[in-house]
Amino acid sequence: MRSYFIRQALMNIRKNLSVHILSLGTIVASLLILGAFLLLFGNLNNWLQRWGTALSMSIYLKDGISEYRRDNVYSFIRGLPGAEIKRFISKEEALKDLRAALGDDAAFLNRLGRNPLPASYEVVFESKGTHRVDPEKIKEELEKLDGVEEVQYSNEWLNKFEGFLNVVRLIGFIIGGLLCLCVVFIVTNTIKLTIYSRKDEIEILKLVGATDWFVKTPFLLEGMIQGISGGILAVLTLFLGYLLLPTKGISLLGLTPLDLVFLPAGYLILIFILGAVLGVIGSFIAIGRFFAV
Amino acid sequence: MIQLFDLSKKFGPNVALNDIRLRIRKGEFVFVTGPSGAGKTTLLRLIFGAEKPASGYILINAINLNRISRPKLDLLRRKIGFVFQDFKLLPRKTVFENVAIALEVIGLRPKFVRKKTHQTLRLVGLAEKEKSYPLSLSGGEQQRVAIARAIVKDPLILLADEPTGNLDPQLTMEIMELFRSIHRKGTTVVVATHSQELLQATDCRIIVLNQGTISEDTP
Ligand SMILES: Nc1ncnc2c1ncn2[C@@H]1O[C@H](COP(=O)(O)OP(=O)(O)O)[C@@H](O)[C@H]1O
Ligand SMILES: [Mg+2]
Repeated sequence: MRSYFIRQALMNIRKNLSVHILSLGTIVASLLILGAFLLLFGNLNNWLQRWGTALSMSIYLKDGISEYRRDNVYSFIRGLPGAEIKRFISKEEALKDLRAALGDDAAFLNRLGRNPLPASYEVVFESKGTHRVDPEKIKEELEKLDGVEEVQYSNEWLNKFEGFLNVVRLIGFIIGGLLCLCVVFIVTNTIKLTIYSRKDEIEILKLVGATDWFVKTPFLLEGMIQGISGGILAVLTLFLGYLLLPTKGISLLGLTPLDLVFLPAGYLILIFILGAVLGVIGSFIAIGRFFAV
Repeated sequence: MIQLFDLSKKFGPNVALNDIRLRIRKGEFVFVTGPSGAGKTTLLRLIFGAEKPASGYILINAINLNRISRPKLDLLRRKIGFVFQDFKLLPRKTVFENVAIALEVIGLRPKFVRKKTHQTLRLVGLAEKEKSYPLSLSGGEQQRVAIARAIVKDPLILLADEPTGNLDPQLTMEIMELFRSIHRKGTTVVVATHSQELLQATDCRIIVLNQGTISEDTP
């Protein structure tokens, strides 16, 4: 890169500083909202993953199930990937648990002729690597087995959460796309202003034999510098905001506290590159329009 | 080197040049003169490719300017120095930068650009004003910056439009001597002027324009 272009680009910025600061502010704001979305989305995804690993399932058995069938169910569960049988709860134990849970109100249980509670297996599923436990599928398979009455899992709302995450993702994409357009638009207009204020200079450059690219390159650089500085400022602001956050953990629904993590390095680089690319696109459009006239 | 065939140029209904036929050989030193509005500036701008003719054509080194592509014209302009009547200096750049730009657009090495620019500014007597901005200079000084920018690249052709219009007699003589030394190094020089003093002091070819036509041509 010839030093002339960089000097020229920096001079353009210096001479139009107020316009540049204004547009830089808007770019930072746009990238900031984008970054905030990535932050939110990344964390939601993290939490979902965590809860996904803690999936626990109760498999209720039919009354009067034979020993053979029970062993069958047992070995089927053992064969499921990531499954760990925590406990077998017999009908008697289930009743005892209920009694303990009801305390003083347990008296009515004595009036029941027979024990209405089913025996059950308590199973916990661990996600391994990229493998995701699909509770709905396991439930279906188990309920097909002879001797299984019903399968319940603790977080049936997991699906709803996943749906919610998809909505967040969609909104993120739409808003992100609009914000990118916004950044391009801002850069285009700023560079157009610079080009306009340099109209006479450009004419003179052409008269001393400058190629189109010689004239254009400083403006491209100018747009790129704007995008990159916007990206850097947005990332710094995000990080500062994260540091100033009062609590980094959120306890939700009595589940394990959730850590709020900052954007991974990859995302930061993404915002940075996005700024640069959008800046170049913006100045490209500005240049194209100008030189077409 | 420069050939004009049946060249005409109109600005609206206004005929600036009418059926000009002219040939300037390589290494010639030519004055173009005539009253104000005769078409001197228009003639130089046509040769430079800054205006398109209404009819006729221009050959520069056998290149037809009517057919030249934009990139080729950029290349050609790097070999032609032009001293504009209104100087056309970059107000936001220093005197040094204004002159250096003519070499920078060619893509020459920074070290060479610096050396050559310093040298040329000394030649036109502006070594002390390198860091000044054009608008802080007198008309004569601005004119010499414009001249420096035109000659810094050792052009094949030097086109100068009233290059001594703002200079006192002493500086006029110095600049003309400068042009003559460039001419001696092989550059074709075309100077448009209405200054009678310049013309009386020379034995060069003088082309006289009158209302857009050549009324006299003394080889
Ligand atoms: N850009 C222009 N638009 C309209 N008329 C012009 C333009 N340039 C020159 N002219 C006209 O063309 C004629 C020749 O002008 P010019 O070449 O500048 O003469 P000179 O340089 O000999 O004084 C004049 O009548 C002038 O008014
Ligand atoms: Mg003139």
